[in-house]
Amino acid sequence: MKIKITAAILMSMLFTISCTDLDEELYDRVEDGNFGTTPKEIDALVGGAYSSLRGFADGISNNYPTCEYVFFLNEVVSDEATIPTRGTNWYDGGQYQDAQKHTWKSDNRMILSAWRYNYTGIAKINSIIYQIDKSSLSAEAKAPIYAELKALRAYYYYQLLDMFGNVPIVTDFEDTGLPSNSTRKQVYDFVEKELKDALPYLSSNVVYSKLTKNVAYSLLARLYLNSEVFIGTERWQDCLDMCQQISGYALTPDYFANFATENQKSGEIIFAIPYDSKAGTVGNYMSSMSCHYLHRFTLSATGDYPWSANGMCAQPGVYSAFSDTDKRKKAMVAGDQINLATGSVIIMDNGEPLTYTEEVTSLADAKENEGVRIGKYEMKAGESWERDHDFVLIRYAEILMMQAECYVRLGSPDLAKPFVQQVTERAGEELPAVIDLDYINQELLKEFAFEGRRRTDNIRFGTFFEPWWEKGATEKYRGIFPIPSTVLTTNKNLKQNPGYPEN
Amino acid sequence: MNSKNKKIVLHQMWTTKSMVLMIFMLFLSAGMFAQGKKQVSGTVYDNTGNVLPGASIIEVGTKNGTTTDFDGKFTLEVAVGGSIEVSFIGSTNQKVQITASTQPNLEIRLQNDGYLLSEVQVVAVGYGTQKKSDLTGAISTVGADDLVKGTISSTEQVLQGKVAGLNVIRPSGDPSAGSSLRLRGGTSLTASNSPLIVVDGIAGVDINVVQPSDIKSVDVLKDASATAIYGSRGANGVIIITTKSGTKGVSIVYNGMSSIGYVSNHLDLLSANQWRAHIRETGNMDAVDYGANTDWQKELEQTAISQSHTLSINSGKADSGFRTSISYLDNQGVIKTTGLERLSANVNAYQYLGDNKDVKFDTGLFANIDKWHPLDYRIFERSYNLNPTIPVYDANGEFTSVGGTIYENPVEILTNRKVDNQRHRLLGYFKTEVKFLNDFQAVANISLEHNAMKGSTYKPSYAVMEGRTEDGYAQKTYAEYTNAQGELYVNYSKVFDKHSISALAGYSYLENIYQGFGAQRSGFVTDEFSYNNLGAGYNYRLGDVYSYKGKSNLVSFYARANYNYDGKYLLTGTVRRDGSSRFGENNKWGVFPSASAAWRISNEEFMSSAKDWLGNLKLRVGYGVTGNQDGIGEYKSLSILGVGNDSYYDPATGTWSLAYSPKQNPNPDLKWESTEQLNVGVDFSLFDRVTGSFEWYSKTTKDLLYTYEVPQPPYLVGNMLANVGEMSNKGVELTLNADIIKGDKFTWDANVTLGHNVQKIEKLSNTTYETDVIYSGSLHGLAGMSGQYSQIIAEGYPVGTFWGFQNAGLDADGKMLYVNAAGEKVLGDALVDADKKDLGNIQPDLTLGIGMNFTYGNFDLGISGYGMFGQKALNATNMMLNDPNRLPAYNVPDDFLNSGITSAPKYSDYWIEDASFFRLQTLSIGYTLPLKYKGSKLRLYLMGENLAVFTSYKGVDPEIGLNAQDGSDQSGLAAPGIDKYNNYPRPTTVSVGLNFTLNN
Repeated sequence: MKIKITAAILMSMLFTISCTDLDEELYDRVEDGNFGTTPKEIDALVGGAYSSLRGFADGISNNYPTCEYVFFLNEVVSDEATIPTRGTNWYDGGQYQDAQKHTWKSDNRMILSAWRYNYTGIAKINSIIYQIDKSSLSAEAKAPIYAELKALRAYYYYQLLDMFGNVPIVTDFEDTGLPSNSTRKQVYDFVEKELKDALPYLSSNVVYSKLTKNVAYSLLARLYLNSEVFIGTERWQDCLDMCQQISGYALTPDYFANFATENQKSGEIIFAIPYDSKAGTVGNYMSSMSCHYLHRFTLSATGDYPWSANGMCAQPGVYSAFSDTDKRKKAMVAGDQINLATGSVIIMDNGEPLTYTEEVTSLADAKENEGVRIGKYEMKAGESWERDHDFVLIRYAEILMMQAECYVRLGSPDLAKPFVQQVTERAGEELPAVIDLDYINQELLKEFAFEGRRRTDNIRFGTFFEPWWEKGATEKYRGIFPIPSTVLTTNKNLKQNPGYPEN
Repeated sequence: MNSKNKKIVLHQMWTTKSMVLMIFMLFLSAGMFAQGKKQVSGTVYDNTGNVLPGASIIEVGTKNGTTTDFDGKFTLEVAVGGSIEVSFIGSTNQKVQITASTQPNLEIRLQNDGYLLSEVQVVAVGYGTQKKSDLTGAISTVGADDLVKGTISSTEQVLQGKVAGLNVIRPSGDPSAGSSLRLRGGTSLTASNSPLIVVDGIAGVDINVVQPSDIKSVDVLKDASATAIYGSRGANGVIIITTKSGTKGVSIVYNGMSSIGYVSNHLDLLSANQWRAHIRETGNMDAVDYGANTDWQKELEQTAISQSHTLSINSGKADSGFRTSISYLDNQGVIKTTGLERLSANVNAYQYLGDNKDVKFDTGLFANIDKWHPLDYRIFERSYNLNPTIPVYDANGEFTSVGGTIYENPVEILTNRKVDNQRHRLLGYFKTEVKFLNDFQAVANISLEHNAMKGSTYKPSYAVMEGRTEDGYAQKTYAEYTNAQGELYVNYSKVFDKHSISALAGYSYLENIYQGFGAQRSGFVTDEFSYNNLGAGYNYRLGDVYSYKGKSNLVSFYARANYNYDGKYLLTGTVRRDGSSRFGENNKWGVFPSASAAWRISNEEFMSSAKDWLGNLKLRVGYGVTGNQDGIGEYKSLSILGVGNDSYYDPATGTWSLAYSPKQNPNPDLKWESTEQLNVGVDFSLFDRVTGSFEWYSKTTKDLLYTYEVPQPPYLVGNMLANVGEMSNKGVELTLNADIIKGDKFTWDANVTLGHNVQKIEKLSNTTYETDVIYSGSLHGLAGMSGQYSQIIAEGYPVGTFWGFQNAGLDADGKMLYVNAAGEKVLGDALVDADKKDLGNIQPDLTLGIGMNFTYGNFDLGISGYGMFGQKALNATNMMLNDPNRLPAYNVPDDFLNSGITSAPKYSDYWIEDASFFRLQTLSIGYTLPLKYKGSKLRLYLMGENLAVFTSYKGVDPEIGLNAQDGSDQSGLAAPGIDKYNNYPRPTTVSVGLNFTLNN
């Protein structure tokens, strides 16, 4: 009997240690309601809004951060870059070929990736605003935080306005109802209002990589510069007014200082996405997406440079558009590639020399060495996938060129001269006698080649719709991208952009 | 009364009453049969020659009898001219005539009766056992003797081909690679689909904690009526492993084996001379001949020499038992540096207390340590790429390095990285059983499973990674997992007349905790430290150290009731209520019921005429609902902020800080996947020689978990884990066991398992989530196929359906032609998405397992094999190698030169092959030396493994793992059947071994 009692005690011990508590205990993360009360926590939240500018690895971009895909898309559909299929490589379902030929469909994965990049940034800011709402900070303390977040959100909406036009406007994190389209005009008005409302609270200082007054003015200037494209109303003077509000910047004497490893020191950059290898940020490795697999031996005798993918290159005609005296021509890598170990031209696996040519046989079947490569950002031995150079979004040269363009468009090309002159002088080029729109267009190509903004210029100048290399005439509706097919499937409240098939 | 007579009754309850009766009876019989008496003695053995304690010996037609003692011996006084009948449970009774000349020392050998043995077999059903004859659900049992033998490094392998409907899938011949188990097609798109493993009553443990030599029997619970007692974890079946524990007597068993393994199948790529001949013929001026003759595949290989030793000690008395075993396995891989070394130990002890064995204490402890060097699977692709004229080492004795990333020297990769992994597994339990109030028994069980994994990596400064060095790179990782459980249940059983009732009710609490940390650094001035001094690395980044921890709970209440009328009509009902912390706020608790019934037709009066040939006929029907909660990780239902690689630049200080960001779309409705299953089964036994079961099942899984695309906006991210779809699996299974010949000297038995399953996705959308099709089977990583998919998951199709273009052969220029939707033959450029069609799927029509055993005297021969038929596989390796852009830089298959292909690879059915196969898995020949000492024996054997594969598949091996080995696809069923450089070859192995059993 004693035994039974002992056993019974043992068993009842089991019951006492047990329970039916099913709440999840968190150890290495926090539930959203429990964060955002101290200034340090607020900083860490707001910081997240900036970090999403780099994009994120999603299933589409295959572990590349999506901001690269936004860049890919805008570059490939413009007149400055292309991603030809090389043998088997870079076919990938024809998505790059379709983009080059302006025959993209709504299931093009670059388009979905761009959509997700922007809406992820927006949703993240909405969620941060929701956290701040719940925080115990005073209304005065919250106001500048809201302003910074909403202005940054307006940057994403500006991108959507530019790329997709009629997109849904979502500002409330808690509202999970399926939104419907806003018109392009509504999105335009929203971006304008959000930026203007934020202005009084934004910092007037020159603060690198933060959304300051200067950045907001630059975005408004961009908005007004493209106003005719966006809503059919010219606002050149408004653009000029915004540009004139911007202060504290000057062109760097060396053009490439803006693209150097330590480019955060440049006094020209108004807004950038910071990268730092020690901080583990992956991205802004366009040269690695562009150069040949063996290019690393041109940088290091031991090949101490990351793998390159042999993808994007300049469209034929771009390299020769630069005069040889133009310092900016070095943004491209052309000709024989010398192996630092041997001192002779690199021999590719197929036995041929690695010589980048301007000509590309065809979009569908380019040779490994064809196409001039993109080398705008500094490349140096010992770099890792995590680069240190920051991705430039807005620099002062753009403010100068916007003013020049507006004066030309307003019929005062002489007033444009001092602005353009600063830019060409640095490049080592002469100003022509007459500054006209064609000249401005060419100068924009040379100054901002491979900075991800050429598509917008092409559309504003109308060249987007004319034939170019491996592309026929483009129908007007392709001035904006279609809403991605999977977005339409999952949200029946959304309508496809005009001109594109419903699905 | 002499002392001999006394002995007869000693084994009965010794009371005065019975003694009086006995004496009376003896007088009576003496009076009736006035014949002479004879004292007979002897020893009873089983069919393998072991002595049988407890066998009964009865003088036929009398109540005179005895039982054998501990050494199988008996003595009985029997009338001359009469006979004795010797019987033992599970054996055929044997009669011996007793004449005046009968020798006093009889040797009686009983033969097993397969059917009888199986009917009295005790089957684990979860929280208890039942006699096989009383089962109402679909349960297959495999005894220790029938488990697959050989060089086994993952315990799953012992079930290969042994259970109808259960597929054991080994991804490769890598000894450190685990196996996956799939029962009846799997039920989930994202979850593991692995059956729940129960070891000695402890649910949800790692099957590899138990070594094959410690297994007594394995019961596979297949239908929902059997598995519903495990509720939200039962949907993919339950495998209950019962391990050996101390049995009566003392014995010491040693098993030793050593083997050699070699690669039996290679890809036929151009040799250096074939390559040169081709270059000469085509006159390719750019081709570079590096002058060597290298077979890059063979450069990676070695002859694998393996050994294993197991020693076990067993000791048992009437009220206690003890068993311990220790084993060592060193299983070398056929690819250099690979292998698995395992040291394991097991202790089990039990003790009964009380006059009627009222209380039982039972403890068990399993532990093992694995060591291995993980392989960088990229070496296989590299070995196919490299030009065969490139030497492995250059003139300076350094590894040759030419060209780009996919052109890295695989021998360098294999040699210059040092990766040491170590894993510990531990499982311990303490069980108390108490009988009370006559009909009740209470069981309390406390257990702890603790698994830990350590990883250490060092890439020295001279190692080339993706063509570059990192100045030394060191990493250490540690991860551990604990599974603590407490369980309490009460059994009740009662027999009234022909009614027998049993019932069970219980409660269990489970707590899983996982945690770990890791650190890495690069930039080492010296390679001396290897991975032992991370602090010496000068180059570090924000993400270089990390740690994590998570926890989940499962709380359950369960009950079962059985009713049995006269052994003819059997009913079972079970119910379990599971609450899991992983489930969403709105679905914390789930209820999983089941009911089943069986009718033993052969026990009916009207069947008595068929008794001669129909030993058993039982019809079973069961229905139940089970769940699968594996697909839900911890915290998926919550809105969570985490720190990831979300660093941001703070211009005020010029430093980087970590951002806190929302991580996922919370889903408070998240719950288990639930599977309804109907099962109809028939058990039979014919002519005393053939036993078998036939099963038909239909199961439907609802609330299928998948990471669905959700509209963005409004959602935070573009996808979210949700319960949406529906999937069905229907099939039949047949198990047959036959004692074909049961001679004294010669025996032949055979077993066959057959399974057929048809899977279909029924639904992928609901009112909230709409999905037409999910693309799966990623081809990412193959040249030109970034972001491309080869398979679809869509309504009306099974998982693993290949979806793409249909080829129409080559045109005159060698360009691949395809059939478009209009039925025209077109070139690849002209195809549009609408031209894609169903190109077959990876689901086999038939799975087969066969085993046969022969004995002749002291010789034994065993043979076993398994196969899968009707499944398709995408030979993506071949697709990439047959690329006209490859020559002369990269190697190609011999066949490519004659194929005439001139167009670049494009995914189509040209590369999809029938992957049906039958593998002759083991063939063994043994000889047993009976030793004179108390049934001790020594068996020597020779065994071959993976001796032949019958297939038309052109790749290295038709048996393809469920997930890509490069880790690009981790989801449960998402990308099976793709041979993507999936080529760690399965070795052919020849071993010699000996088993030594010493009885005392």
